[in-house]
Amino acid sequence: MKFSPITLSLSLALLGAGCSNIEHSRSLGDPRVSAKTLAEQVCSNCHGVDGNSISPAFPRLAGQQPAYIVSQLTNFRSHQRLDPPGSEYMWGLSRHMTEEQITGLGAYYSKQEPHRVSSRDVDPKLLAAGKEIFENGVPAENVIACVACHGPKGQGIEAFPRLAFQHSNYILRQLDVFQNTQGRPGTPMDAVVHPLTSENKEAIAAYLQAFPD
Amino acid sequence: MLLISKYFHGNLIKVVTWFFGVLAIGAIVFPQDAQALPSFARQTGQNCVACHAGGQFPELTPYGRMFKMTGYTIGERTLPLSVMGVVNSASISNPPDGTAKNGEVVFATGSLFLAGKITDNIGAFAQVTYDNFAVDNGDGSFSGHSNADNIDVRFANRIITGKQDWIYGLSLNNNPSVSDPWNSAAAWMSYVPAASLSSHSFTDPTTPYPGFGAGGNIAGLSAYLFWNQTVYAELGSYRTADQAFSFMSAGIDDASKTKLNGNNNPYWRLALSHEWGPHNLMVGTSGMIAHVFDAGTDVSDPANLGQYRNTGVDAQYQYILEPHTITAQLAYMRQETAYSDNSIITAAGDVGLTDTTYMSRAKVSYVYHAKYGGSLAYFNSTGSTSVIQTTDPSTNGMTFEAFWIPKQNIRVGAQYTAYNKYQGATDNYDGVGRNASDNNTLFLYAWFAY
Repeated sequence: MKFSPITLSLSLALLGAGCSNIEHSRSLGDPRVSAKTLAEQVCSNCHGVDGNSISPAFPRLAGQQPAYIVSQLTNFRSHQRLDPPGSEYMWGLSRHMTEEQITGLGAYYSKQEPHRVSSRDVDPKLLAAGKEIFENGVPAENVIACVACHGPKGQGIEAFPRLAFQHSNYILRQLDVFQNTQGRPGTPMDAVVHPLTSENKEAIAAYLQAFPD
Repeated sequence: MLLISKYFHGNLIKVVTWFFGVLAIGAIVFPQDAQALPSFARQTGQNCVACHAGGQFPELTPYGRMFKMTGYTIGERTLPLSVMGVVNSASISNPPDGTAKNGEVVFATGSLFLAGKITDNIGAFAQVTYDNFAVDNGDGSFSGHSNADNIDVRFANRIITGKQDWIYGLSLNNNPSVSDPWNSAAAWMSYVPAASLSSHSFTDPTTPYPGFGAGGNIAGLSAYLFWNQTVYAELGSYRTADQAFSFMSAGIDDASKTKLNGNNNPYWRLALSHEWGPHNLMVGTSGMIAHVFDAGTDVSDPANLGQYRNTGVDAQYQYILEPHTITAQLAYMRQETAYSDNSIITAAGDVGLTDTTYMSRAKVSYVYHAKYGGSLAYFNSTGSTSVIQTTDPSTNGMTFEAFWIPKQNIRVGAQYTAYNKYQGATDNYDGVGRNASDNNTLFLYAWFAY
């Protein structure tokens, strides 16, 4: 038979693919696909297989509070989170996720080890200013300390997210969303960040990414 | 700039009318609240910008490349149909006699895509393209024609753990490098399609692009591997797209179809990729050896058989972080053409005659907020001449572009291609007084996808 290598390879591929491949599936509308498989086969493309995303366009999820991940995926799915990256990337991916898959993703990422992001060239004065706001807020402007809700190590508490080692660019963009838009309704952050200046936000973002010991 | 002013002076009303007409049509066809997404976007539910860098289709983001390498299988099966169309106008600075539709707004091409997830491991991207001006009837009228365009049917699997990430698969495709995930690859660097009209003969897609001599509409199978998102390797071979594979050259008459000798026409690709922060870089090489029969000749006669030997090097850098998208691409291709015995005899050439061409291209683009963008490209082609390759391949110049993406599936742009050298000379390249700059072309386009 002519062209036998191609015919043979294709036949084998088709035979292999004819069977469902749930363990390595990238299907988003199939409740049989486990959260671990979704994390590995789909979410890892942007967030990293261990939740330590490389690009600051995508938040780091390693060590994140499971309740926070569940709330955000639920908000993406119900279109209650409206910030552009959320709607452009996450509405579609979450649209048919089951409760079990969402809970499983929360558990998966909470168990991953967060890695420190390189912050070698950050101005020490900026870090000091960020640390001050993180620990003590800006009393003159009634800005409460981040540590009150996000924990002394920036590790988050329940629905309050982990912030330590998060990409500074992502933190900055989210602070802007809270401060200037209605993209993430239903959180206390709108009021908290309202008085922050650009310098305050830069300092907090730099400090949270570095989160020195 | 003077030349641009000259074009606009003559066609200003026409251009402005056309421009706002396109926007009006866009507003009607793609209302603000519509989920106006092509099939891949419907499959994942994501915005075009997730996969296309700065929204400038077809250039892929790192995620878009993973979507492709994993066989177009992320998401849910949905209606796998999309369409696209290009309305444009090409104005040559000094159009040669008989140039058709110079400066006129035309519906140039349209494509129908069958594209999407088939199983957990199989997906497809198949394009049929209609050229509205495929046949010149000789009386000022034209007839349209459709044929198979890029086809890439894939099987892919991914084994990923904390330490290892293996993506591997097979691609059945009809165009060497159409399977490639990077857009400095031969099949993907040129992106705005142009009609076959004579007024379009000097637009950017017709300038030298590093490509494979065998061309498209041939049938090939390649196996590929992407290890730890670092090393990409692909190896395949091509044959004539006939018999069971004739769908890959559908619409092309037998005499025009590329005929390869046997199944042993290898294609290879090796690339190294690295991502850090918002940056990513690829450096790669590719090549192909294609045994091709002279067009329209007897394929049982080995004296009609020639050979293309291609070796290429390419690189792509991207910076993607809202609101900025920056891309730099470099591509170089060496092509050695070994002519068939019969063509050498016909041209009274020496036995074993070959010609070599070297094509290179560099391009930088920038997009702001996935809405406003521009690019700058330099192209250069050099090579030998002979009794068969009688035209000097030395051509170089630049293409300047500005574009606007009012909605994610509409792009409106202007390209100006300026030639410094054409067919070996800056001045009087044809011996009867025509200069390279006479071919400078302003190309305005509106590109829709749905």
